[in-house]
Amino acid sequence: MAVSAASVAGALAERLGRERVVIDPSALAAATIDGRTPRWIVRPASIEHVAAVLAIAWDENLAVVPRGAGTALLLGAPPSRVDIVLDLCGLDRVLEDHPDDLTVSVEAGVTAGALAERLTGRRQWLPVDPPGWRRRTLGGMTATGGAGPLRARYGTLRDLLLGVRFVQADGVVTWGGARVVKSVTGYDVPKLMVGSLGTLGVLCELTLRLQPMPDAEQTWLATFASVGAAQAFAARIVDSPLQPTRLEFLNEPAQRACQMPSAAAGVAVAIGSAHSAVREQGEQIAAIATSERARLAAVGDELWAHYDTALTPAEGEVVLRIGSLPSRLADTVGVVERALTVSERAALVTGCAALGTLRVGITGADPDIAHRLIEDVRNFLGAFDGSIVIESAPTALRAGVDPWGPVEPATLGLMSAIKREFDSRGVLNPGRFVGGL
Amino acid sequence: MVYEADMHTFYKGAPDAVALPRTAEQVQKIVRLCRSEGVPVVPRGSGTGLIGGAVAPRGGVMVSLNRMDAVLEVDLPNRCAVVQPGLINLWLTKAVADRGYHFAPDPSSQMVSSIGGNVATNAGGPHCLKYGVTTNHVLGLEMVTGTGDLVRLGGRAPDRPGYDLTGTAVGSEGTFGLVTAITVRLLHAPEAVKTALATFASITEASEAVSEIIAAGIVPAALEMLDAAIISAINASLGKIYPDAADAVLLIELDGPRAEVEAQAERVAAICRRRGAVSLSVAADEAERALLWKGRKEAAGAVGRLTASYLLQDAVVPRSKLPQIMREMEAIAARHRVTIANVFHAGDGNLHPLICYDDRNADELERAKRANEELLNACIALGGSVTGEHGVGLDKAKNLPLQYGDADLNFMFRLRRVFDPDGIMNPDKLLPSHPACGEGFRPKRPVLPAGAWI
Repeated sequence: MAVSAASVAGALAERLGRERVVIDPSALAAATIDGRTPRWIVRPASIEHVAAVLAIAWDENLAVVPRGAGTALLLGAPPSRVDIVLDLCGLDRVLEDHPDDLTVSVEAGVTAGALAERLTGRRQWLPVDPPGWRRRTLGGMTATGGAGPLRARYGTLRDLLLGVRFVQADGVVTWGGARVVKSVTGYDVPKLMVGSLGTLGVLCELTLRLQPMPDAEQTWLATFASVGAAQAFAARIVDSPLQPTRLEFLNEPAQRACQMPSAAAGVAVAIGSAHSAVREQGEQIAAIATSERARLAAVGDELWAHYDTALTPAEGEVVLRIGSLPSRLADTVGVVERALTVSERAALVTGCAALGTLRVGITGADPDIAHRLIEDVRNFLGAFDGSIVIESAPTALRAGVDPWGPVEPATLGLMSAIKREFDSRGVLNPGRFVGGL
Repeated sequence: MVYEADMHTFYKGAPDAVALPRTAEQVQKIVRLCRSEGVPVVPRGSGTGLIGGAVAPRGGVMVSLNRMDAVLEVDLPNRCAVVQPGLINLWLTKAVADRGYHFAPDPSSQMVSSIGGNVATNAGGPHCLKYGVTTNHVLGLEMVTGTGDLVRLGGRAPDRPGYDLTGTAVGSEGTFGLVTAITVRLLHAPEAVKTALATFASITEASEAVSEIIAAGIVPAALEMLDAAIISAINASLGKIYPDAADAVLLIELDGPRAEVEAQAERVAAICRRRGAVSLSVAADEAERALLWKGRKEAAGAVGRLTASYLLQDAVVPRSKLPQIMREMEAIAARHRVTIANVFHAGDGNLHPLICYDDRNADELERAKRANEELLNACIALGGSVTGEHGVGLDKAKNLPLQYGDADLNFMFRLRRVFDPDGIMNPDKLLPSHPACGEGFRPKRPVLPAGAWI
């Protein structure tokens, strides 16, 4: 039986403490998501708190939007309902740390920056670097499938999440996976949770595989007269024994944004290894660059610092995430650039040339142009099962075009069945995920 | 007879019929028919599994997928291939090796095991230490689910929107459905490979060396341990491959850019010496390297020299706990008067103790079982996992509650039911017979305060 707003607030306050339940109208207004203002902001300090909040939300049919640093709230479709914003930044403890095993267990609100600070002294890292990563929470990055240039070598959180503790929509605390680097005991629940946008459970604890930091890393920027030439160069690097840590395509505006002397297309290659191996691989890169008629320059680490700053989404910016193929990189960039008018020519197009993923960032985009661009790219990618997703954009654009794109009916049917099984009441992030899940 | 067991011969269960489909459509017809008749469907690849996964304890239809063994497409510009599930693991590598590529997962059975079977169990292998297990190399699946629907999950282009059902289905042991096509990632061969053999006077010292190599931030391509019992069995069966006098050897392989391999080899050698290595030798050429690996890969066969029967475990411990678990293992073996032989993936803490017994001696089997159980409990107590790469099957289903609580088991049960609502796909495998894995079970929810609802 539904009860009054006051008694929900009372129940939340009784379980979490009054100071953890925000009902101040101006604070609530500031937490508005896509025009929907929450009725409460709740700030849990523990997984038990999260469980209590979800149990109440389940019983009262309230919609809950989990939030970390709040940097990815514009991913996907606008939510269909927002009652509780669940601010997870208070879950910020490192629970277990095993330097000799290269594993760590953290609460979801720990930021990637805080973890990096803890790890750097011992030459270890979690090599996941979507732009703006330092500020982002690990739970948020896991839920949204955030990734950056380092995926060329290290993969994504899909490859690094070993175990996860989450709270199901009805408040049941659940664990999946293991705390060791290798396990096939039961289903791979962590994989189901990566990129699920918290629609099956609120991620609260993550056990992560860490990587040793290379002794040295050096970056070279190869520049070209065309994107096609850049693609050919990247293909030569990939089809060689070289093991770059990053192999990032940058269009001309992106090179400028990274404060590099720019050409029509660029590929930043980073080699992380023993000092002598970095030198040797650098020579091989130079040889490939020469035969591909590239201009090659050794650049400092500041390229990646500038990259991180320049690509951190700004207010109102439209950010699109494209999954194409390495062999179709130039064609894909071509479709994007043809759809842009003169005023959007400064769009930053970057991406992992080894995998064929692209990121398009457009400042001051005309919604009609952005809309058409998404449809053009979607049509082009559809032929080989690629995808384009809106990672961030004003509400109107995300309401006017499907931010996720089509998923085959049979596959979407399975996804819907999973969502129905674990959240039949639509408590968790309703409406935001693929197919309106 | 052929179809009544897999490599775990404890478990027998002959199907009522065996189907040998050649197309996904045929697979779909089989599943639909079985669903309407309420008959179990048991998938089978090469039958090299070690967990009683490809047996039919309730009868039903066994679907043998080895006639679906084609390489459908090789797409080297995008470093991937599309294959059918019955394709033998090593054949894929053979199809692309001349162009410098390979399929990374390398279970010891790779000469005979099928890629569909590797996907079902999320198989590992020695080189998974550096390159990841099967799931890290599977981009997409075509699958007939327990409802008889043909679905495509994932694909060659990355970052498909929606739940990662590919990652969820790899390792599901045929309980979600039958995989009919697999898109896999291919890797380029490294520039240099260096394979070394370090011998130690005790397995504890060898374990300490392993823990220190990992803690030092070195990720070898492979880091394998063999103990005295295994060494003598291998040498007796295959000729003298490893030093007879050694109590333990580490087979260490480094690969990557030449200069990186050289730099790491020096550091590994220093660690081994510091931890008391008696000798350290490097394979001089490909023939010597192949010989070192031959011993390791054929170890399971050589064990026949050592014992008539054995229980094989696959538990994992954190890498830093290897010395501790090896000491506990010695104590357990002594307490139950059994021989435990060891050949395992030390680098990722994945143990494979072979607990030897004589099957004509009932008491010895009982002692072996007790030792097995104690050892598994010790691994879990150290923060480990029940199975690292072999899978659960019939063999380890009962052990899942060691690692998972009621809510966790119930979540997995419900996930399975989405793919297979009628429970026809490989029944009795992967999940235990447990209240939390049954209809109507409700895991504990937080108790809300009385009086708050005023």
